[in-house]
Amino acid sequence: MSPEIYTQIGSQLMWLLTAAWLLPLFGFMIEIFGGYWSPRTSKTPAYIAVGCIGTGFVLSLFALGIWVKAAEIDLLAFGGDEAHAVAHDDHAAEHEHPVAHDHDRADGHDEAHEHDEHAEAGHHEHGEDEHSEDAHGEGEHSHQDEDHHEHAVASHGHDSHAGNDPFKTAFAGTFYRLGKFGSLDVTLDWYIDGLTVLMFAMVTLIATCIHIFAIGYMSDELTEKYEDHFVHNADGSHFHRVGRFYRFFAYMSLFCFSMLGLVLAGNIFQVFVFWELVGVCSYLLIGFYVERKTASTAANKAFIMNRVGDFGFLIGLMIIWTWFGVFQFAETNPETIGEAGLFQMVRNSAGELETKGEGAEKTVVLQARQGIHKEHPVHATAATEIPYWLLVAAGLGIFAGCVGKSAQFPLQTWLPDAMEGPTPVSALVHSATMVAAGVYLVGRFYPMFTPEVLLVIAYAGCITLFVGATIAIVATDIKQVLAYSTISQLGYMMLALGVGGWLAGLFHLITHAFFKSLMFLCSGSVIHGCHHEQEMTKMGGLYKKMPITCWAMFVGVVAISGLAIPVLLVPKLGALAFSGYHSKDAIVASALTFSNLNPNHSLLFFMPLITAGITAFYMFRMWFMTFFGKPRDQHIYDHAHESPRVMTVPLIVLGFFAAFCAIGGENGPLAQLILTTEPTHLANGFESAGSVALSFPSHHQIHDNHATAGTVALLAALLGTLLAYLFYGAKLVDTDLMKRQFSGIHEFLREKWMFDELYDWMWVRPVHVVSSWAVAFDKQVLDRFLHFLSYLVVSISSWDRKFDEAVVDRIVNAVGETTFSIGRSLRVVQTGRIRQYVTFIALSVVSLFVLLFVFLPR
Amino acid sequence: MDGISLNLFLGVGALLFVCGVLCMTTKRNAIGVLMGVELVLNGANINLVAFSKYGTLGLDGQIMSLFVIVLAAAEAAVALAIVLSFYNNHRTVDVDQASELNG
Amino acid sequence: MGAFLFYLYAIIACGAAIAVVLNQNVVRMAFWLVVSLSSVSFLFFMLDADFVGATQLLIYVGGTVVLLIFGVMLTSSGPYKTIKSSPAELVQSCIIGLAFLALISSTVFSVDWEANERRLAEFEHEAAHIHDHEHGVGHADHHHREDHSVAYGYNAEKEGNTTRSLGTALLGVRFDKDLGTTGHHGEAKLSTGYLLPFEIVSVHLLVVLIGAAYLARAKRRVEIQDA
Repeated sequence: MSPEIYTQIGSQLMWLLTAAWLLPLFGFMIEIFGGYWSPRTSKTPAYIAVGCIGTGFVLSLFALGIWVKAAEIDLLAFGGDEAHAVAHDDHAAEHEHPVAHDHDRADGHDEAHEHDEHAEAGHHEHGEDEHSEDAHGEGEHSHQDEDHHEHAVASHGHDSHAGNDPFKTAFAGTFYRLGKFGSLDVTLDWYIDGLTVLMFAMVTLIATCIHIFAIGYMSDELTEKYEDHFVHNADGSHFHRVGRFYRFFAYMSLFCFSMLGLVLAGNIFQVFVFWELVGVCSYLLIGFYVERKTASTAANKAFIMNRVGDFGFLIGLMIIWTWFGVFQFAETNPETIGEAGLFQMVRNSAGELETKGEGAEKTVVLQARQGIHKEHPVHATAATEIPYWLLVAAGLGIFAGCVGKSAQFPLQTWLPDAMEGPTPVSALVHSATMVAAGVYLVGRFYPMFTPEVLLVIAYAGCITLFVGATIAIVATDIKQVLAYSTISQLGYMMLALGVGGWLAGLFHLITHAFFKSLMFLCSGSVIHGCHHEQEMTKMGGLYKKMPITCWAMFVGVVAISGLAIPVLLVPKLGALAFSGYHSKDAIVASALTFSNLNPNHSLLFFMPLITAGITAFYMFRMWFMTFFGKPRDQHIYDHAHESPRVMTVPLIVLGFFAAFCAIGGENGPLAQLILTTEPTHLANGFESAGSVALSFPSHHQIHDNHATAGTVALLAALLGTLLAYLFYGAKLVDTDLMKRQFSGIHEFLREKWMFDELYDWMWVRPVHVVSSWAVAFDKQVLDRFLHFLSYLVVSISSWDRKFDEAVVDRIVNAVGETTFSIGRSLRVVQTGRIRQYVTFIALSVVSLFVLLFVFLPR
Repeated sequence: MDGISLNLFLGVGALLFVCGVLCMTTKRNAIGVLMGVELVLNGANINLVAFSKYGTLGLDGQIMSLFVIVLAAAEAAVALAIVLSFYNNHRTVDVDQASELNG
Repeated sequence: MGAFLFYLYAIIACGAAIAVVLNQNVVRMAFWLVVSLSSVSFLFFMLDADFVGATQLLIYVGGTVVLLIFGVMLTSSGPYKTIKSSPAELVQSCIIGLAFLALISSTVFSVDWEANERRLAEFEHEAAHIHDHEHGVGHADHHHREDHSVAYGYNAEKEGNTTRSLGTALLGVRFDKDLGTTGHHGEAKLSTGYLLPFEIVSVHLLVVLIGAAYLARAKRRVEIQDA
């Protein structure tokens, strides 16, 4: 592809996605200012919000189409040989495509590394075919691939210097330069690759559905006088306030804007800005019912826990700025190619870290500094190497931010509390936007992570997924179950990313977004139908009352549980299964391969496997408890009703996507789209001989284990489902008896593994102790000193007052009184009678002369 | 005329002067007061002219008295105007009534 | 004869003045004032001040007193309206007046005018003598008395009536002082005249004319309100 066409596609994508990004902000402005002045009963804000995000979805779809066309992915090619043949015919003429090039080269590397064991799959001729799992590494076509590669070099002229050059797989550019502080260029950048486009489509679609759902769910707020049943005034009555319908949608729009900005951001600093904006929006939305003490506390908790993670994020940013001098992910402008971004600097053309030295002296050589030198002469003396441990620290710092945002161990405690927000908020926060941001950033920043960091990520995810799943078993609040399941699923994603299953992690991010938002909306529908009752112990038998919700929920539950009808029945599609099966399958496969390669870390395989069973168990437990059995609370049951159509239609739409978005599994269109953006060093796996010896699996290694992993995971899920049915569906086991028998464990899980108590004991208590010391110091020393000072001032001023009263006042009063009395006594002389004055004059003259005669000496 | 000394003229002037002062002090009629003023000025005039004759003043004394006469006429005109104005306001010429400025 | 006339007019003047004081009726007071002022003008004539005396008659008797009488007529509600003072005031005033008179009289009679004049003459003579010595001797001695009277006093016998001298003096030329004398260096002597005070008095009179007319104007606004 020539630079002109490349630039053209890039600007098309940029304009489409920028419009989709800014529309919610525009909507937010109108809603927040217009809504304040308009009547509270107006639904207009909701229509504006839906219109904005819906238009954004359409634009994102266009962008997705452009991307698919540019990436030349044959979306229907999964498992089908005919489709590949067609693709092949076209490919000869269109081989300039950047994505294709990239994979050409990846294919070439495959050649160098791989054996010929897959050579029998020789009916595929081009690198394009590598997108299919069965296509990698065709030895006999190596010369053709090499030809393509050389052709690409000839046509571009600058391919050679950066093998992982995002020019091949991504478009990036700068909106606006905000300012330049020394060598730091603060710019608004954009960075578009397959992941960005996909995230845009996913976020806007889910957000649109949630917005529409919220029109129905939030209709209580369409009033001038909203009665909050959860807030009691001092006199026992309920709290009344005006409805905040418009404000809800304004916040939602702002939330979408923030999330889309985060996805579109082209440098890590900009990511941080939108990262914080997402945090603020979640704060506003979780604390939407500010009058409820629990809601405001939960909002504070979410915000503060995120701050803890962001502290690490900031440290990572500082390291990056100090050693790299840039924040941009990558520089892809054909005009100025060679202006290096972070990814181009860390990894060489083969996508590997070039290291020097050993132990503490180990450093990583920074690539492509020459571009920086051109633009910023100050960098001529900048570091060309970064100490390895600092790179690890930067990676850990950025991951710390992701831990906070994605609710990973040990910062996961905010997420369940965040259920205090309205249910649509939970759906948005916990599926497509906020928690997705952390996983997204790990995926986006993947080239910067060293194997040590990846291991940390994997273990954090591993612990998280187990903790979350176990707590979800005993949760009785329907939203709490979903919240812990979210934590658990996020753990899966992190685990997958950590063990080198980049594709699996992000694949699961997308699928999870669909089925988790679906389930949250279903739970919202249930809660709405049951008049804001959230306890599952008071539900039951709701199937008859709300069938649509029930079946939508069933789709989500099956999807998250990873149930499938095995391969044999539908060979072309791999398996007849909902989306969750495919993505979880990929994760388990990655984990299995990793643990095979690194036997020390086999825990990373067994934990997700066990948890897969637990997941199926608790999800079906929730489904059975809610919709089947006898009604536990007759009053609620009697008043329950199916939600209006404005709420059920989004359920159906999301249900469709939750079921079929991942069709085809890892050969399907969704996975292929994600794969266009995968960091190049992952495809063939890599070894790390550093402080921790690790080896990461390649694609075909994972593929080899795919069938095994899929089978095992499916068995686990089926087992979990069966148990759930026995416990809660068929009621063969008395759950209350179980609860009593395992009361210790049950209590431990009910208390959420005592994390809140642990943090209380670790952080809050010590702070209290220190602050009590500070209080004592204040009281004993500072206060005494200040009291002494103030006593001194008071006594001095009392002396001064006495002096004033006794001396100054007395003198002044005496003068005044004297003057006054003299004037009053002399007043009578001033009679106003002119004759008397003349008399006085005459008398005075006489007297004067008499005096003169008497006293003047002759 | 030779037997008439300067002292006699001065004595007449003094008497006229004192009479004028008494007029001013005793008359409640504003015009009476004015007459007293005229008498006072006349007493002074006699002194000036007498000094002109008997002293070394020469014509200067007479010129002084001319000025005094002229100013007296002017004063009388203004004073009468004031009296008329006062009369217009108070319907009386009693100077004791004009005591608004008492203390 | 001169002494008789003096005493006659002096007594008339004083008696009329006392009558002005004692009379309570304004019109009678005016009459006695006329008498008194006329007598004073005769005294002026006797003092060789013919122009001043004439002016006294014209302005005082003919102008000011008529003005006063007009005032009486304009302000008096009845023809013989009297405003009486209290006896205590009268007594008080009389005491003060007598004290005043005694004061002035004693002052006047305690001064030895002859001696003063002699001392003054000696002083002037010495000054003239020094002056003569500076300009050569000769003519000074036998003209001593005449020179003195011409130079430093007004000699009625020699100069006759005073009208012309007064007129020129008011215009700034002092014939009565400078005629026939020379300055210290033999040049013409130029004494100070009264041109500037004359002009000031003229303007003063004009201002008074306007001011009096303004003050005494008819208050039309008040009349309209009354009507």
